Amino acid sequence: MRGIGWAEWVLLAPFVLFVVGFELYPILVMVGRSFFDQSGAPTLAYYLQILENPVYRTAIRNSLLFATAGAAVGALGGTFVGYLAPRLPRRLHQFLLSLYALPLTLSGLVVAFAFIVLLGRNGVLNLIARELFDLPRNVYFDIYSWYGIVLVYAFFQIPLMTLTMAAVFENLDRSLIEAARNLGARPWQVWRHVIIPVLAPGFLAGLSIQFAGLLGAFGTVLALVGGAKNLLAIQIYYHTSESTYNLPQAAALSVVLIGLIASVLFLLNRLERWARQAGGG
Amino acid sequence: MRRVTSLQMVLLVLLVAFIVVPLLMPVIFSFSVYWQDILPEGFTLQWYERFLSKPATSRSLTVSLIVASSAVALNLVIAVPAGYAMARMRGRARRFLVAVARILPLVLPPVVVGTALLLAFSGPPLAISGTIWMVIIAHTLLGFPFMIRNTLASFDTLDVNTLSEAAQSLGANLWQRLRYVILPNVAPGVLAGALLVFAISIGEFEVTSMVAGFEAQTLPLQLFQQIRNDMRIASAISAFLVYVSLVCFLGMTWLSAYLRERRG
Repeated sequence: MRGIGWAEWVLLAPFVLFVVGFELYPILVMVGRSFFDQSGAPTLAYYLQILENPVYRTAIRNSLLFATAGAAVGALGGTFVGYLAPRLPRRLHQFLLSLYALPLTLSGLVVAFAFIVLLGRNGVLNLIARELFDLPRNVYFDIYSWYGIVLVYAFFQIPLMTLTMAAVFENLDRSLIEAARNLGARPWQVWRHVIIPVLAPGFLAGLSIQFAGLLGAFGTVLALVGGAKNLLAIQIYYHTSESTYNLPQAAALSVVLIGLIASVLFLLNRLERWARQAGGG
Repeated sequence: MRRVTSLQMVLLVLLVAFIVVPLLMPVIFSFSVYWQDILPEGFTLQWYERFLSKPATSRSLTVSLIVASSAVALNLVIAVPAGYAMARMRGRARRFLVAVARILPLVLPPVVVGTALLLAFSGPPLAISGTIWMVIIAHTLLGFPFMIRNTLASFDTLDVNTLSEAAQSLGANLWQRLRYVILPNVAPGVLAGALLVFAISIGEFEVTSMVAGFEAQTLPLQLFQQIRNDMRIASAISAFLVYVSLVCFLGMTWLSAYLRERRG
């Protein structure tokens, strides 16, 4: 077994310096600032604000609901495509996964722009629907509603989940299922003891990534509706910009956001362990 | 292998269209003279011309290219050696470092990174918030989990230790081992990581909008303004960002196909 020699330390030095200097140090400064008021006296006022002010409480609730809805859509769509992909002819399979890797690098603003053109008040799809079904002008799919925002985020979430699930389904050993069936296992037993234990860890890992991303998401929301939708990340953003400038409050809200994400990751991690054990694997 | 039912096929086509159609929107918009009805009308390059001739947007293109190239360069210095070191390590230390590189970006979303950078670097000892340096550092931070993952994967498939020892036993010194044995083998993977970092940096909006100030206006920041002011210029910028993503992405696909082929 090989430990860390001097060569590894030298090679790791830039990475460690960078992470400590530009990631951990700023986070510590931020956590520190959330406990001191503008004059430098220690205070818990910013956290009490979050507990008492209904605007912040709504923001937290909205963020959790939005992340849950977005993750559910992503999980459903991504699991479906991930399940189908390995069954397609090889070339099609590869094309599909390549296509689905594209949104990962695409700017959230470009996606916002695309969906405004498609589904804005006079968006192409709304115009087509109006023509086809002879709808009145005030009936249209509203991309600026919560449903609309979840739909736009699905553009990122479904592909993200697909990439995870396609790999998971490829690893699902068909012969294992056949063997279980041949040994007389009923369909639910096959699911309970063979399929779910194999799928669960990947599925829950994918779900964790979805949740973590969605809880902190704000760029595309901001481009679509500005500050009209009250999300935790939007609140933080507005507290760092000129109109409602309040950095210590932004810091406290950030600490709460980190806490939320960490809790969700922790719970899903627990669930993953439980699923593994329940499968007896 | 079981076949795919026709209902599944229809759903699949819809889910493919869900990605392809939005990607086409900015491209079609940017080449059309007029698009008020269902179908766009005319063909023009004038929106691209306006995007390149307007001082604010053309300057932001330069800023974005400088920032993305610098983020790639910094990542090569930071993440490639780290990936190499991690590939040589075993056991706990390695698991810890891989977990740090994997979990930190999950737990620290862009809005938190932006707030933290703003708070830490607005005053002494290092007051760089609002400058292009801050933006470069932010983009490097956002990119390195991907760079490390790519580098680590290419070093892992390589069996660095055996190769290094073989080269060493043949009398190669450290420099020769790196130059002739290790680097040529990991170059495609590292290059794919570099393309990924570049694409992420060119499109990044969230952290940038928090730390850039007026001095370091990148392309996405201009796009954000133009979505409100002028959908025409917005379409040209959006389409340009789609092209950058596509090119980086085709590069990555080509590199991974090349790697698969070389490994047999």
